[in-house]
Parts: sequence; structure tokens; C-alpha cells
Amino acid sequence: MSDNSTPVQAPTPLPLLPVLGRGVLAGGAAGLVTGLFALLLAEPLMDKAIVAEEKRAAAEEAAAGHVHAAEEELFTRGTQHFGLVVTAVVVGLAVGVFFALVHAAVHRGRPAEGDGPWRRALLLAGAGFLALSLLPGLRYPANPPGVGDGGTVSERQALWVAALAVGVLGTVLAWQVQLRLARAGFGAPVRHTAAAGAVVLTVVALFLLPSNPDPVPVAPTLLWDFRVLSLAGHAVLWACLGGVFGALGLGRTSKTG
Amino acid sequence: MSSHTAGTAAPDAGSATVRARDLMIAVAAALVALLALYAVFVDNGNLVSATGEYLHEFSHDGRHLFGAPCH
Repeated sequence: MSDNSTPVQAPTPLPLLPVLGRGVLAGGAAGLVTGLFALLLAEPLMDKAIVAEEKRAAAEEAAAGHVHAAEEELFTRGTQHFGLVVTAVVVGLAVGVFFALVHAAVHRGRPAEGDGPWRRALLLAGAGFLALSLLPGLRYPANPPGVGDGGTVSERQALWVAALAVGVLGTVLAWQVQLRLARAGFGAPVRHTAAAGAVVLTVVALFLLPSNPDPVPVAPTLLWDFRVLSLAGHAVLWACLGGVFGALGLGRTSKTG
Repeated sequence: MSSHTAGTAAPDAGSATVRARDLMIAVAAALVALLALYAVFVDNGNLVSATGEYLHEFSHDGRHLFGAPCH
């Protein structure tokens, strides 16, 4: 992210709207791809987890000696499958907006040359994956339906938001450390090792947060598969976002320059 | 990004206006995006009380997929 070849001059403000448009377009596309990816691969697991949860609840009630009618659901599973894709698109659009704003703030006044837009977009997508997906996901990995006590949801939300914040702060720290070392004239090995140190420090900070208070009564293979697919979904989102955003930037460069 | 070539000739007053306008656009876009993420990931029927649990249940699978806390 350090283009120190650019001569220092008063930064010319680049119009924000085209960047924002690229972010929204790339985010919407990335969300749709992620939603379809999850519909195809993660939904069968979620359906399985919900069936297992219902069996478990029925067995517990039978053991307690009273049988209730099955819990009334607001939506059918079919509607919730559709909801997954819609949710992924909404998340993609929102993440695309923030992606464009951060991109504009980081590179303000320094237009990229050649394949620069592609490199910048992929680098920022990688940083986003690290900050908002991988680091928080290590501390609070995703759980399939059937896990999660309604009574602890506020507490878990506070912990989750805290983990997202720590992930972002740690990634910014790693970036700043390598940027400042580069300005001080240090070579890549020193810069990269120091940045890795900042990431390790972030992982330590994340594990100082309290653990998820809920029990996880799910078969280990189902749990593992779901968590891998969840992380893969995050990776698909960031990869598509960065790729489309970068490609759109390249198109502009080759047309105007 | 490189569409700045058309705007470099603008005088300082013009670029200040562009900057102020861009800042407002940025704040507005960030607020809308944040509201969308809140509605999908955090809200439990208390954003618009009329939605009850509908919003939560509709985005239920998405919450689980992205690792957001759910019940």
C-alpha cells in the first residue's frame, strides 16, 4: 500500500462517486456469488443441523414428560434459503460501500498506474478478509443453526462486535508498522516480520476476550464442515469484491490513459 | 480512479467544494451501509418494532453463514 514513488504534491481530490459506484457494483456481485455459493454448499448442512436440533428438542421434552406441539416458525425453510441469498447481497453491498470509502481514503490523491488498481483492490480485500473474517473467526467461529441461546444473544453480539473491532485495529496496526518501517528505510524482511508480529499480537488480544458462553451440541464433523464453509464464504466474498473492484478500475485506466 | 485528469485544472475553491461534497456523500453512504449491516446482523426485532422477528428470521441463515450471533 506504499506508493512512495509518487512525488509529494497537494493531493488532488479524486471524485468519490465513481469509486463508490465501483464499490457498490463489486459488492453486489460479490454478495450474489457468495449467496449462491452458500445456497449450494452450506444450506444442506444448515438443514441437517435444524433437523438434528428438532430431534434433540423433541427428545428432551419426551424425557421431561410433556410433549408440546412443534414450534411455530415464521418462515418456511424455502423462504429462509431465499433469505440467505438476499442477506448475502445486502451484506455485499454494504461491505462494498465501506471498501470504496476506505480505498478512497487510503489512496486519496494518488492515482494508480498500470495494473495498480488491481493490486490495490486485491491488497485491500486481503486486509479486509484478515481484519473482519479470519481474525474474528478464529476467536468466535461460526456455528450452525441449533447453536445459540436466546438469553445470551446480547452478550455474544457485544463480544462479536468487539472481535471485529480488534481485528480491524490489529490490521491497521500491521499496515502502519510496515509503512513506517518502509519510510525509515527498512527492507521487506524486517517490515514483513514486524507486520506479522502485529498480527500475532492481535490474535493474543482476541483470545483475551471472554469465550462464547453457549454449549455447542452439534456433531463434530457437521460443525467442522460448517465452519470451513463459513470461512470459505467469507473468502469468496472478499475475493470477488477485490477482483471486480480492481477489474473495474483497470477498465477505467486503460480507457482514459 | 484516473478520471481526475479532467479535474486537475479546477481552481482551489472548486476542489474544496468537491471535497466538502465528497465528505457528505461518504458520511451518508457509510450511515446507510451501517444501518443495513445492523438490520441484518444485530437487530432482533427492535429496529422497527413492527417487523418483530421477521427481519431476524428472514436473514437467519445469512447470520449463521457469516458467523453473526444468532439464537
